[in-house]
Amino acid sequence: MDDLVFSVSGFLDNLNQDLAYAFSGVIIEGEVASYKTSQGKWIFFDLKDDESSVNCFMPVWQLSIPLEDGMKVRVKALPKVTKWGKFSLTVQKIVPVGEGSIKKAYELLKKKLTKEGLFDPAKKRPLPENLVRIGVISSTGAAGYADFCKIINHRWGGLEIQVCHTQVQGMAAPEQMIRALNYLNEKGEVQIIAMIRGGGSADDLSCFNDEALVRAIASSKIPVITGIGHEVDETLADLAADIRASTPSNCAEMLTLDKSAEIRRINSQTEGLSRRIYAAIVDVANELQLKRDGLRRILSEKIEATNRVLQSKISTANSVMKKSVSELQAKTDRDLAQLKHFIAERLNHELAKIENTLKIIESMNPELVLRQGYAIIAGEIDIGKTLKITTMKKYFEAEVKKIEERNKDGR
Amino acid sequence: MADEKSKSISEKMNELNKQVEWFYGDDFSLDQAAEKYEATMKAAKEVKTDLETLKNKIEVIDKEF
Repeated sequence: MDDLVFSVSGFLDNLNQDLAYAFSGVIIEGEVASYKTSQGKWIFFDLKDDESSVNCFMPVWQLSIPLEDGMKVRVKALPKVTKWGKFSLTVQKIVPVGEGSIKKAYELLKKKLTKEGLFDPAKKRPLPENLVRIGVISSTGAAGYADFCKIINHRWGGLEIQVCHTQVQGMAAPEQMIRALNYLNEKGEVQIIAMIRGGGSADDLSCFNDEALVRAIASSKIPVITGIGHEVDETLADLAADIRASTPSNCAEMLTLDKSAEIRRINSQTEGLSRRIYAAIVDVANELQLKRDGLRRILSEKIEATNRVLQSKISTANSVMKKSVSELQAKTDRDLAQLKHFIAERLNHELAKIENTLKIIESMNPELVLRQGYAIIAGEIDIGKTLKITTMKKYFEAEVKKIEERNKDGR
Repeated sequence: MADEKSKSISEKMNELNKQVEWFYGDDFSLDQAAEKYEATMKAAKEVKTDLETLKNKIEVIDKEF
């Protein structure tokens, strides 16, 4: 070692090599001071505690949380001595620590990303229908993951779940989860990605407030559901996700239906079908009854109307007939009267004739002649013959003694 | 269209729901009810069997992230 002579540059190169070997990825916790950006590309700040301070440097693009002086942070860095002999930490990763700083960083980043529209509710996608393939990003050793598996297996079956095992706390966690997100997106087989982690302290959960991770969630082509921490915990990852479940168990519940409840529902549905068909039959029967009643009513009304018409016609016919009969009767009466009159006249005429005849006949009665003093002579008028002579009071016979012819004047 | 065996439970349940909805929709007719009832009961039985027997397949991706 005594013979080894370095140039200044060579010495610094060796020193930096040793530093990199000895302190690769060293993590240092301290308070931010003298925070400033240069040309919008570089960040400089001091990391200090009560007694010491060290310069820090990092490119802007690597900054995953908003920084402010006074914030307590944990940095993963590479120690380095510059060519001007100045010692600094090249920061690779920085996270807030302590409740106050975490909250501060959270609020600042939330404000920034909200302004960018990353949490816009209009961008949220619903749970895919017919969910069969689910991607999970979690630590397979974590209690939250076990809860998720237990609940999802209890509730549902037939799912294909691809699990990306990553850290879910610590400085490496965001990058691992981003890589898992990218992997699942590139593979494109799952319908939704569940990012889950059980409960923990604010420090434990602070990786879910990592800007790069939040952006990766927001830009995921596949919908993301988060189930991080407990009900009260809210991370920026939750806000960026399409759906937020309050816990890993709740996440499993949101992704699946409860098969026991579904079986009960199906039983209820199928039981309801018999009732539905029965009700339909009753409806049809009632409808038929109504139609039958209606038809009956219509027929009844028709019959009644027809009856009324018939009755009216019969009445009219009766009336006409009565009138005709009456007229006929009157005519007949008149004819009969005329006939009677005619007969009577004729009879009287004939009687008068008979009476005349009788009078004539009466006038020719021999008795009447006899009463006038004449006699009736009967028998053969011949000399010597006997003639029978009848008078009014006597009958006698006489013998013909002389016969002479009378002259024209009756003497 | 997926054949019966490759359909997921969710798909089968959706179809079952549609079958059930028919009984409460405008297309319902007593003429078809018996046939539809039989088909629906068959589908319901199949879905219940799936729900009771199917397990989830959980695969941890063999990759470091």
